[in-house]
Amino acid sequence: MDSNQERFVEDALDLLNELDEGLLQLEGNPHARAPLEQVFRTMHTIKGGANMFGFENIGELSHHLETLYDLVRQEKLTVTDKLISITLHAFDKVRDVLQLRDAGMISRAEGLKEHLHNALQYLQDVQADNGSGSSLSRKIDEVATFLIRIVPSIRMTEDGNHPLVFIIKDIESLGTSKVYVFKKEEEVVQWDVYLTTTTAREEIESYFIFVEQDCIVNCVKLGTDLLSTAEFQNFLKENSGAPIGLDQIQSFSSSQNPIGNEKNEDIGSGKTFNLAKKGLHDTYIKVSKRKIDDLLNWISELIILQAQLATSSSRIKDSDLSEVTELLEMVTNRLRDTSLEIGLVPIETLVTKFKRLVRDLSKTLEKKVNFLSEGAETEMDKDVIELMSDPMIHIIRNCIDHGIEAPEVRKAAGKSEHGTVKLKAFNSSAYVNIIISDDGAGIDKQKVLLKAKEKGIVGSSAELTDDEILNLIFHPGLSTASSVSDISGRGVGMDVVRQKLNDLRGYVSVQSSPGKGTSFHIKLPLSRSIIEGLLVKVDETPYVVPLNIVTRIDRMAYETLDRVNKLNPSVVVNEELLSVFSLRENFHSGSAAPKTADIISVTINGARRAIAVDRIEGKLQTVMKPLGDAFIQQDFIAGSTILGDGSLALVLDPVRLFQVSVN
Amino acid sequence: MKKKILVVDDFASIRDFVCETLQRKGYETIGASNGTEAFTLLSSNPKVDLVLTDYNMPDCTGFELLKKIKSSGSLAKVPVIFLTTESNPDKMRAAKEAGLTAWIKKPYRSETFFAQIENAMIHG
Repeated sequence: MDSNQERFVEDALDLLNELDEGLLQLEGNPHARAPLEQVFRTMHTIKGGANMFGFENIGELSHHLETLYDLVRQEKLTVTDKLISITLHAFDKVRDVLQLRDAGMISRAEGLKEHLHNALQYLQDVQADNGSGSSLSRKIDEVATFLIRIVPSIRMTEDGNHPLVFIIKDIESLGTSKVYVFKKEEEVVQWDVYLTTTTAREEIESYFIFVEQDCIVNCVKLGTDLLSTAEFQNFLKENSGAPIGLDQIQSFSSSQNPIGNEKNEDIGSGKTFNLAKKGLHDTYIKVSKRKIDDLLNWISELIILQAQLATSSSRIKDSDLSEVTELLEMVTNRLRDTSLEIGLVPIETLVTKFKRLVRDLSKTLEKKVNFLSEGAETEMDKDVIELMSDPMIHIIRNCIDHGIEAPEVRKAAGKSEHGTVKLKAFNSSAYVNIIISDDGAGIDKQKVLLKAKEKGIVGSSAELTDDEILNLIFHPGLSTASSVSDISGRGVGMDVVRQKLNDLRGYVSVQSSPGKGTSFHIKLPLSRSIIEGLLVKVDETPYVVPLNIVTRIDRMAYETLDRVNKLNPSVVVNEELLSVFSLRENFHSGSAAPKTADIISVTINGARRAIAVDRIEGKLQTVMKPLGDAFIQQDFIAGSTILGDGSLALVLDPVRLFQVSVN
Repeated sequence: MKKKILVVDDFASIRDFVCETLQRKGYETIGASNGTEAFTLLSSNPKVDLVLTDYNMPDCTGFELLKKIKSSGSLAKVPVIFLTTESNPDKMRAAKEAGLTAWIKKPYRSETFFAQIENAMIHG
């Protein structure tokens, strides 16, 4: 695939998302003008691009669907669920085909014909329903043979550079054709083009509009598929010496097959339209992901160097040097903030995808569900968006399958028949928050607990708090749907969702109230490499605790944790008993104990825990680097970072840290 | 001196493709993503020899751009060509009456394309 085709595929995939969005808007509001125009225009652009870059199969499908929507624009067709479905499915196929990302495979792709057939069938069915069909009489597959006779009124040669010469070549390529050129010396006196095509006469004639001052064009319909008949070919051969009289041809062709006298209706109103599109006046350029990754990589190196410079400069105490260092720090911080935003794209694409999902799922499950989104302009790392897509789809599926009740159940409970699934996204400091909520039945905590006991996940006499019970839904191998549907699977889901989010250094927690609904709160760092952390020390070893999970910090006497070799597994913070993980106890037990310990209270996936360290040094924003393969089994360490003095600090992975402590 | 062509299309891959094709043939190109942007560019770049524009674009269509160009005294002589999948004869007729030089249908054949462009720049 050449680079132009690659770019077309990328652009077209973007357009397909816009198209989905437009179609869904149109479905919700079938008489709205703006989404209709958007849908029409987007298809038109896809068609143009596809034809231009050699994907005629996509061009053809788009063309016929565009025709349907053009009829809607002319109020000759109405928007129906079926029309929208046909279109959505057709362009889903186009999307699949484009994603092959191989020119040969795209242009030979199977399966588009089927959708083309559906579109044509739909038009026919509607026409049949209308009884007459006359109002929609665009003869899509009408084959006709024309004689196009062109007499130039200025002097020109067959191999000259006049546009007419090329227009005739364009005309030839509209179907099966036979061209006769009659010349006097070198100058052309007349062209006779016999053309069997599905193109309408008006359209053929329109090719000559811009050269009509230089020639006289006469286009006559001779019959249907004449050029393929041996008789007509012989007739032409016998008479090829000089232009054949029109009468002679017509009498011959009418003996071959009679011509109906229909006239093709002109399609397309002269309406122009404005599409107010977000960010129209903002200009964009496309840059390869690799270049951005390189840039971010170098910026992260710069951040490390800048921190080292600041440390050295404070030691040297030279006023000139520290002035430059301060300025450099300011610029570096600006650069870091800007760089955080570079790779970010709005989560809009996800939202569109989810709208589709909700629509399709609610139809399959015969539930009535509205999808609302808020903050679709919130930006996230493109890679993270892709990685997040599956987990979020799973959550939404669960909301619809398990959360939202059937319409009659809802009605009986005094709720509206339509359930709502809501996605809310917003930023808070260096994190993106996504809340997915439904107004369904909520999670039945007793049922979850019962099941967990049945399966031996918790002890049969265990007392659990509400939050702890809710957290069980993330446990591998627990599904409370009494009947397992193919939608939300067999309890292999929510644990994977949490796992995937944790891999991205994100967290998910759940809240649910019976009869009111359930909400999932996802919190993700904006950047995959730049993290905000708390720099702590145990003995003389620095560690970094990710700041997004820290809820509070308390200093207490070391004896609270360790009363002469009797270790406390938990600690009371703010009148709450938290299980505590002591870094000193686990990794530095040999050295002398300090007088006090700092207790960092953290919330991990909704559960509160505490980490005990010797002392907290401060907050830092830093770049996380992966550790080498040698450390791969130490999975409670997320990575490492280089501090200002050039030393290395380990970044803790709190989720895994507590898994270690449990084992 | 290189001839300068303003290419207007809201679909970036087509616009870039057309620009690259023209550059390979030795033309200088500038791009715009809609009629409004094109007209602004044109007003500040009076040395454009030809405008090659799409028909259906948001904000300001090719037809509106054509009318703007033809009704502004100094720019009126710049030839305008539509490069489009639109093929409505009425629209073509209307565009011709508004002063359009040529209408090239996408997908175009490169020889037709260059012949039309050359012809437009010679004859206006």
